[in-house]
Amino acid sequence: MPRVNGVDIPANKRVDIALTYVYGIGYHTAKLLLEEAKIAPSMRAHELTDEQVSQLNQLIERKYVTEGQLRRQVMQNVQRLKEIRCYRGLRHIRGLPTRGQRTRTNARTRKGPKRTVARKKSVKER
Amino acid sequence: MSRSVKKGPFVVERLWRRIREQKATGNREPLKTWARACTVIPDFVGHTFAVHNGKQFIRVFVTEDMVGHKLGEFAPTRMFRGHMGRK
Repeated sequence: MPRVNGVDIPANKRVDIALTYVYGIGYHTAKLLLEEAKIAPSMRAHELTDEQVSQLNQLIERKYVTEGQLRRQVMQNVQRLKEIRCYRGLRHIRGLPTRGQRTRTNARTRKGPKRTVARKKSVKER
Repeated sequence: MSRSVKKGPFVVERLWRRIREQKATGNREPLKTWARACTVIPDFVGHTFAVHNGKQFIRVFVTEDMVGHKLGEFAPTRMFRGHMGRK
């Protein structure tokens, strides 16, 4: 299996898809990269020559922030929001959506699995 | 959706003027303000604001990291005290 950009080992899929396995490279960027490297997107990743692989490596290195570095960048950005105690930072701290979405229902991505709360006893029972 | 660059950041002129006055006099008293929509510009760094949250004035000491945010982002308008406890 070819190794592109350090640790990433995309499978025997089309190269355009295989590249998206790199954190920080999506389909769009993958297509741009292949175009610049003059590689047919329909090629399978294992068919790439060593030369082509290193070419891709270079291109990615030069133009994009990927993997660990990108993850760190994202974390730092969030950290900054938390430190200045702005609204978005507070939402991050609470694990709630930061962009004004509703939280009465949904928002499950941020809040995680449902935690059911006991239903309020009706007035009569009390 | 971000704001058009052509317009520049939205800064409440009154506030800015008062900051300049403070700079001149070296006075660093918290500035009471209701202008939550005012963008924090580099001139504000190191000054303290008392931003209205609808009820009280929240002290906000502006640091460099806050530049580009709005004053209101630092004065939460809702306080969540938790849901009904056990009985």
